[in-house]
Amino acid sequence: MRAVLRVVNRVLLGLAGLVLVALGGSVLAIGLGAPAPSWWLHDGKDDVLLSEAERTRWREEGWWWPVVVAVLAALLLLALWWLVAVLRRRRLAHVLVDTGDGEEAVVHGRALEHALTEDAAHLSGVEQAQVHLTGRRQAPAVRVRMSLAPHIDPGTALDDLTHRTLAHARDSAGLAGLPAEVRLRGVRHRAERVS
Amino acid sequence: MSEYTGTVLDKTPPPPAPAGPGRKQRRRFWSARRVPAALLALVTLVIAGAFLYDIAAVRADRPAMKWRRELARQLARRPLDDIWVLVGAGVAAALGLWLLLLALTPGLRPLLTMRRTHPDVRAGLHRDAAALVLRDRAMEVAGVQSVRVRVRRRRADVRAVSHFRELDEVHDDLDAVLTDAVRGLGLARPPALSVRVRRSGRKG
Repeated sequence: MRAVLRVVNRVLLGLAGLVLVALGGSVLAIGLGAPAPSWWLHDGKDDVLLSEAERTRWREEGWWWPVVVAVLAALLLLALWWLVAVLRRRRLAHVLVDTGDGEEAVVHGRALEHALTEDAAHLSGVEQAQVHLTGRRQAPAVRVRMSLAPHIDPGTALDDLTHRTLAHARDSAGLAGLPAEVRLRGVRHRAERVS
Repeated sequence: MSEYTGTVLDKTPPPPAPAGPGRKQRRRFWSARRVPAALLALVTLVIAGAFLYDIAAVRADRPAMKWRRELARQLARRPLDDIWVLVGAGVAAALGLWLLLLALTPGLRPLLTMRRTHPDVRAGLHRDAAALVLRDRAMEVAGVQSVRVRVRRRRADVRAVSHFRELDEVHDDLDAVLTDAVRGLGLARPPALSVRVRRSGRKG
């Protein structure tokens, strides 16, 4: 997940939360008898949520309907864009490799993912591995998910991954750096008596 | 029955990697909040779409849909101290608080940040995996019949049942082995260890 989308998600969720808290909280407070400030939407507990007069206040104005439609359309487009951005899984199709003689070669993302996955799965103590390429073509990054077998120190497994699999991939693809996000899980197994 | 319980709350192990970028290394994983974001986007999409469609239809001289007329009628009729209005407002406020909480907290609580061994590699260990490792190591101690391990963000609780040897000895061994095992987890913020040993009830 790109960091930008994470921030966008959180900002929009926070905004929606603020709006809901403000509206719901104020209606709740005023409805239960708290005094309402004069400039607020509702002026007492006998007021209604949205009166006929409030709803149709600007209806005769020429700008009212275009503005309503424009705001709704903007909201619709924003929601659509957001939904697509959240649901889309971005994966890198190609990686640019510097061959050293001024030429550039293109490596298929799938091939690199496959090689990395195979490599990681064969590390000692790793039961399963999954590698996804993210980032940009010139600066790829990887996300790694690994399941650890019993009796392997997670610290050791991470060291192996860092210094063998990832270092190997970085060197063979001629990349300056290969940022990685690694998540380790365990494989459920029964407790065994050793002695 | 010789029921004996010993507890040692270890001092938190010394913070690892004191030099270097310190805090940055120990940062937690922050969830992208994909699911709530997708749900909120979907709800907004549906609501905005419905209103837009109906308003456009009315502009084109068709009658407004029933739900919108009914909504306007209800909004204009119910006072703020109406029970349904209060319930609705309470639900909205609670939902809003929940969304704020989602926006401001990191999430991914089960994922424990690991110590950085390479500047490019950020790693997290699932706490179930950490618990499995500690359990396996604890089972290797002589005299331990069964172990239950729970790893939380700050503390690892180990409850062992012993069927032979002195409880004190088993406890000391467990402590030594587990301290080593916790170090082997390679966590940025190793959990404090709490070990308890109990005599097996079944054996006389």
